Amino acid sequence: MISGKIVRFLEQRANVAFGGTRDRDLVPHGHRVSGWRVDADGRTLTALVPEQFIAHLVESLEDNGHFALTVEEFPSHETYQFKGRYLRHRPLRHDDVEVVDRIRERFVKNVRPIYTDAPEHVLKAFILKAHLAVEFEVLEIYLQTPGPGAGARLAPLAET
Amino acid sequence: MGTARLPAEIRPVLDNGVPAVMVTCSADGVPNTTVLSQVYYVDETHAALSFQFFSKTIRNVRENPRAYVCVADLAGHANWVLQLEFQRSETEGPIFDAMDMQIEAIASATGMSGIFKLRAADIYHVLSVEKLPHSQWLAS
Repeated sequence: MISGKIVRFLEQRANVAFGGTRDRDLVPHGHRVSGWRVDADGRTLTALVPEQFIAHLVESLEDNGHFALTVEEFPSHETYQFKGRYLRHRPLRHDDVEVVDRIRERFVKNVRPIYTDAPEHVLKAFILKAHLAVEFEVLEIYLQTPGPGAGARLAPLAET
Repeated sequence: MGTARLPAEIRPVLDNGVPAVMVTCSADGVPNTTVLSQVYYVDETHAALSFQFFSKTIRNVRENPRAYVCVADLAGHANWVLQLEFQRSETEGPIFDAMDMQIEAIASATGMSGIFKLRAADIYHVLSVEKLPHSQWLAS
């Protein structure tokens, strides 16, 4: 199970995320992620991916199932990486759009003190409109907050 | 995949202070994502990435040299995607010194002084460069 502390981080504070896959030739591919949600089972995460970043996504997941997701609170830099196994993908639902909208507002609010002169629409555009939902089972969680503990595995969530 | 050239218009994007993201893959096929403080323009066909904490990334690129980097161009409403290949690591010299100075500046600006510390400048060959404009994906 994803701990309550990390669930609260994901649902209340995190504001940017990025996914990673690899193809059958072990070439890595990246996928900006505009939103995320923790499913009721406490071990499934859904990543909401913009159309611009779906190249190589589904074919890589269907080839080997590996998915990594780094989620950060900027600018505090509190960061976690979730590694797991692809379950399924689906079109966006209305409540997914609401998740992305909330995260976009959170991002703009949190970065405004740093980018004081940036127009609102420029900051909002950083969180792109999502296109596809990818669900994966979280098997491992790593701390990625910069500092001496970076890279520590926090949770082996399943027998591997 | 051969060699690509970094266009002049990407240089200010690399200096914009927005953290980049990187994906690597271990020899046994597990992808790894991480946030990068800095992508440094070395020359038209090479970029250097800051090695600070991310030991899994360091291990991965020594097992499998391919790397994916995405840099956000906030002002240009775009993302830049680089496919790279690890070549070598430098712990001294002009590239290291220049990156070290920039890391210090980034750390100071973001309240991470004393935490951000450059251990090495990892030099990568640029295999491909792609600009992904995103104006058509803006929120309504």
